[in-house]
Amino acid sequence: MAEPTDVMIERRDERRWCALSAVPLPVGEASAFLFTPAAGGVSLFIGTTRRWTEEQDPDRSPKETERLRYEAYEPMALDELVRLADEAAGRWPLERCCLLHRLGEVPVAEASVIVGVATAHRAEAFAACRWLIDTLKERVPIWKREAFADGTEAWVRPGG
Amino acid sequence: MATGESSVSDLIEVRVLLFSVLRECVGAGEVALTLPSSATGSDLVDRLVERYPSLDPYRSVVRLAVNRTYASLDTSLHDGDEIALITPVSGG
Repeated sequence: MAEPTDVMIERRDERRWCALSAVPLPVGEASAFLFTPAAGGVSLFIGTTRRWTEEQDPDRSPKETERLRYEAYEPMALDELVRLADEAAGRWPLERCCLLHRLGEVPVAEASVIVGVATAHRAEAFAACRWLIDTLKERVPIWKREAFADGTEAWVRPGG
Repeated sequence: MATGESSVSDLIEVRVLLFSVLRECVGAGEVALTLPSSATGSDLVDRLVERYPSLDPYRSVVRLAVNRTYASLDTSLHDGDEIALITPVSGG
């Protein structure tokens, strides 16, 4: 399995921060980055590793996850995050935008992704944040492998 | 992008990057392919599936990236291109 090569690769300027990180995501730093006098609202979505996944068959008990492991086509994934941030900035008046994704192993209850935006008013913050996480999950070349408590592992199929 | 050696040739050489389930199918994260200079993305996929039949089930869902940008299957390829085969992604 290809390990993430650097602890963090990022592209950051005053308004936009995109990064891939092999270490726990800096939630506090992300919110500090988003706080700006121009914004009246910050929307921050944090995706975390969930312990229980329902089976499609309701008669089967939920599967217990121990950890997720993320793999990326790193240079393109970073490019795609930047493209997403720029596209969102074209659609909504964003004061700040951060898109941070963790790679490698992510244990239960730790953050795998942070999507944050700051806008003048809350409606745009909610809309942009929702669009960014939904589109990130469709476009950014990152894959997750799930390790279950019973010792089995599987690549996650999208939509699951 | 063409090198001195290949600029007079009718062949191009490209790097193909494979991730997650495709990397496991092939047993390598990267393979080099030599293709006719007229080759498109779908010619590359044909050639790969021929060489690695275990990729066939993913053929209908795979997307192509050429030099780190999504590209359609009819894109013309060039010597030195970095191609990635991208199965449905599952980040987030």
